[in-house]
Amino acid sequence: MLKKLLSQLGIEDERVRLEWVSASEGDRFAAIVDEMTEQVRKLGPFPRNGGGNG
Amino acid sequence: MAKLKVALYWAASCGGCEIAQLAIGEKILKLAEAADIVFWPVAIDVKYKDVEAMPDKSIDACLFNGAIRNSEQEHMAKMLREKSKVMIAFGSCAYEGCIPGLANMFNRQLIFERAYITTESTDNKDKVLPQTSYQAPEGELTLPEFYDTVKSLRQTVDVDYVVPGCPPEERTTWLALEALIQGKLPPKGTVITHNAKAVCDDCPRKRDVKKVKKFYRTFEIVPDPEICLLEQGLLCAGIATRGGCGAPCPQANMPCTGCYGPVEGVVDQGAHFLSAVASVIDSNDPEEIQRIVDDIHDPVGTFYRYSLPDSLLRRARIK
Repeated sequence: MLKKLLSQLGIEDERVRLEWVSASEGDRFAAIVDEMTEQVRKLGPFPRNGGGNG
Repeated sequence: MAKLKVALYWAASCGGCEIAQLAIGEKILKLAEAADIVFWPVAIDVKYKDVEAMPDKSIDACLFNGAIRNSEQEHMAKMLREKSKVMIAFGSCAYEGCIPGLANMFNRQLIFERAYITTESTDNKDKVLPQTSYQAPEGELTLPEFYDTVKSLRQTVDVDYVVPGCPPEERTTWLALEALIQGKLPPKGTVITHNAKAVCDDCPRKRDVKKVKKFYRTFEIVPDPEICLLEQGLLCAGIATRGGCGAPCPQANMPCTGCYGPVEGVVDQGAHFLSAVASVIDSNDPEEIQRIVDDIHDPVGTFYRYSLPDSLLRRARIK
């Protein structure tokens, strides 16, 4: 539902990711953070105020 | 005691706030005893140039309703701010953008195309769109500039108080006017209502289970008159909405749509409402959850019906 709402607002699906990681899965957590960081870096910054004026 | 000077103005609004101001009934006579109305386009003939000629801070209070979506409204908001000691955002549009603020799902180009070209009832073969200036044989004609993004009054000028609601309930309007007349206004920044807690606090319906397997639109079911509407699968915003209205909508079997804005301390009403809705879904199965939330057809229009310009995102990104 959150993703549907964000897509209505023009926010790319790739900017939001929901994962459930246990406290014992340190490696997996680090890998997901690395992947996500790289993915968002490729997209570039999201324009402030959706790119609108003001 | 000298009479107060009060101004009332409208910007991007529907006229409902003027009706709400008159809904205080005979109490308007008490207002008239205590205050001179120096500007009120809906009722008295005072021109913009007359307001311009008033000294700075000569108006004691301005009740401003409506959002800001064009240059005329922005100009008037700034001018009335300069002329007024106290600026009151009256109603949801001035407070948080309200229904006109849903135009932030689009931009000027898309809105003009729809309104002036593609609407089924429109005949505009030459695709004429509003211009800010036009040279007519008789001289130049001008229109205000239409903005891409709707802003609230609070995002445009410094606002001292908020009277929430779409439109404000009579009791809320009078609470603010009485404080003004008696010179007992609360601290700057106060959202003036009888109850800073959620609408649920005013609502007599019973809450118990909080488990929902299916969401309904209002025309799909006749709800039980005594049980919480959200628990019956209606998207009632009461839980994420400031009270003080007295909960008239849930008492008339209609879910709260959120017009009094966020509860005290919450920045983003839509996110709060969405989180509350997510917490009542009775399932741990991702596919079933997906089916349940698929019944919510327009999340932005549901969760941010009154508060999109005032939300964290403020508008949609148009590619």
